[in-house]
Amino acid sequence: MRLPEDIAAQLRAAAPSGVDFSSETNPRGVTVAWAGLANREELTAVAKTMLALGARLSMISASLPPLPPEEDEEEEEQEGDGDAAAQSEAEPPAIPMTFGGTPIDGTSYEIDYHFDLGGDTLTVIAYVPSGGAVASLTPYFRTADWAEREMMENYAITIRDHPDPRRLFIDPAIDSAVLERLIPYSTLVNAASTKALWDKVVSGKGGAS
Amino acid sequence: MTAGKSFTIPVGPLHVALEEPMYFRIDVQGETVNAVEINAGHVHRGVEYLTTKRTIYQDVVLTERICSLCSNSHPETFVMAAEQIAGIEIPERAAYLRVIAAEVKRVASHLFNVGILAHLTGYETLFMHAMQVREIVQDIKESVFGNRMDLGAICIGGARYDIDAEIAAYLTASLDKLAPEIDTLEQTYRTNRSILRRTKGVGVLTREEAIACGVVGPVARASGIDYDVRVAAPYAAYDRLKVPVPTLGDGDVWSRAMIRLIEVRHAIQLIRDCLRDLPDGPAHIHDRPDIPAGRAVTKCEAPRGELIYYLKTNGAPEPERVKWRVPSFMNWDALRFMFRGAKIADIAIIVNSIDPCVSCTER
Repeated sequence: MRLPEDIAAQLRAAAPSGVDFSSETNPRGVTVAWAGLANREELTAVAKTMLALGARLSMISASLPPLPPEEDEEEEEQEGDGDAAAQSEAEPPAIPMTFGGTPIDGTSYEIDYHFDLGGDTLTVIAYVPSGGAVASLTPYFRTADWAEREMMENYAITIRDHPDPRRLFIDPAIDSAVLERLIPYSTLVNAASTKALWDKVVSGKGGAS
Repeated sequence: MTAGKSFTIPVGPLHVALEEPMYFRIDVQGETVNAVEINAGHVHRGVEYLTTKRTIYQDVVLTERICSLCSNSHPETFVMAAEQIAGIEIPERAAYLRVIAAEVKRVASHLFNVGILAHLTGYETLFMHAMQVREIVQDIKESVFGNRMDLGAICIGGARYDIDAEIAAYLTASLDKLAPEIDTLEQTYRTNRSILRRTKGVGVLTREEAIACGVVGPVARASGIDYDVRVAAPYAAYDRLKVPVPTLGDGDVWSRAMIRLIEVRHAIQLIRDCLRDLPDGPAHIHDRPDIPAGRAVTKCEAPRGELIYYLKTNGAPEPERVKWRVPSFMNWDALRFMFRGAKIADIAIIVNSIDPCVSCTER
């Protein structure tokens, strides 16, 4: 079973707020499709559509897209050649928006759900503004379990209704959102390489030394 | 469970069955496993974060160091993503060279796992024999690529090594030496009573459970799932080669070992086919193009199954986000089903049967 011909229509039916769909089939007949969701609340309905098609949730990638300042300048220079010059000068600090209107200002998250259907890949993209939440797909796909737990410890993303939202790899003693902060390596590895471990042992003994 | 009847035993983080640390908290009733809890994170190194601090070209080197047994698959999948974004077509010769590197690694990886299985059943002679046979492949790696683990065979735009007539002859001679040894090993695993008694009907994962867990690779194929990335989504030269996809229906430890041994045989044939069909031409393109802004998802069949990479670039030399999911990542979850009703003595054998890769899982 590969991605059906009418996959875009099926996705749009599940996500009425809108789907930014594109797909490409390589000469070997393998399709890679992308579907950006306008409304992240429609993720569950889309996931159910993929479940009904027999898809496997292969991977979930979360990221925090940064604001690229250099690129903005280049764009303005390019636009300076054409008619759009006046427009870009009128609103210099324009924050790029996603298809659904989530600002990509360095604080919004992008979550990519990569589904596999017989070798074809469909990536469903949901954007979550800072402080927002997204529904858990674990009730539908077991494979979302660890991926979502990892996402929660790497970023300050809230996953709604995850059945087992414990830490996966990172120790509970370490604050969450490790990929958003600079954490000294010695802290992350429980001070395995500095004298911090010794200090910890000493303080644990109540300052015996 | 009521106290007195059940016990909680720890397996790991350091254990003879695990090359790497993983902690299992296992609730047992008498000799039988009731429940298992997996506690990961002992070798979490933050490599995903590191990739965004290095350039895309440096990441080819970095990703090869995520794992040892499937070291070649990581850069292979990563460069496929970069090449897709930049629209780079690799030379025809490079496509075949990549297959040769991948299949050599597959043979070595599978033989290691099957060897450890013999060790865990207490059949040390067979363990020594399997590792001795694997040494032929280690010699191939050292002679052809210069390293016994990290091959360094992959670069953006092709392959970083090439094969001349002398190396091709050496490879063929080595494979001729290897093939009968594999037949002997397979025969032993098929007929030896010690092996059969410890592996048949042990750690069963049904087809339905395998689908629910989303397992891949030999674990999935031993449970009757006919999925192999080399066939489902061909890359490199796999669309021009004959790749058989063996499946078995029992989903037990024996089936998983048998799939690996059969795949070793197929891998040897694939390397021979590649040497026969190897086209002339360059092994890689001769410039290092900038990777433009874009995103790509690529996958390949690592020894343990589907390895998938997501690469997002924004025109900078460093990638914006690199994310990968290794085959072991889901295969761990399947252990919960495999452990159902298992005996304590079988725990190590069942864990080994998913060919676990902890460094890969935790990154």
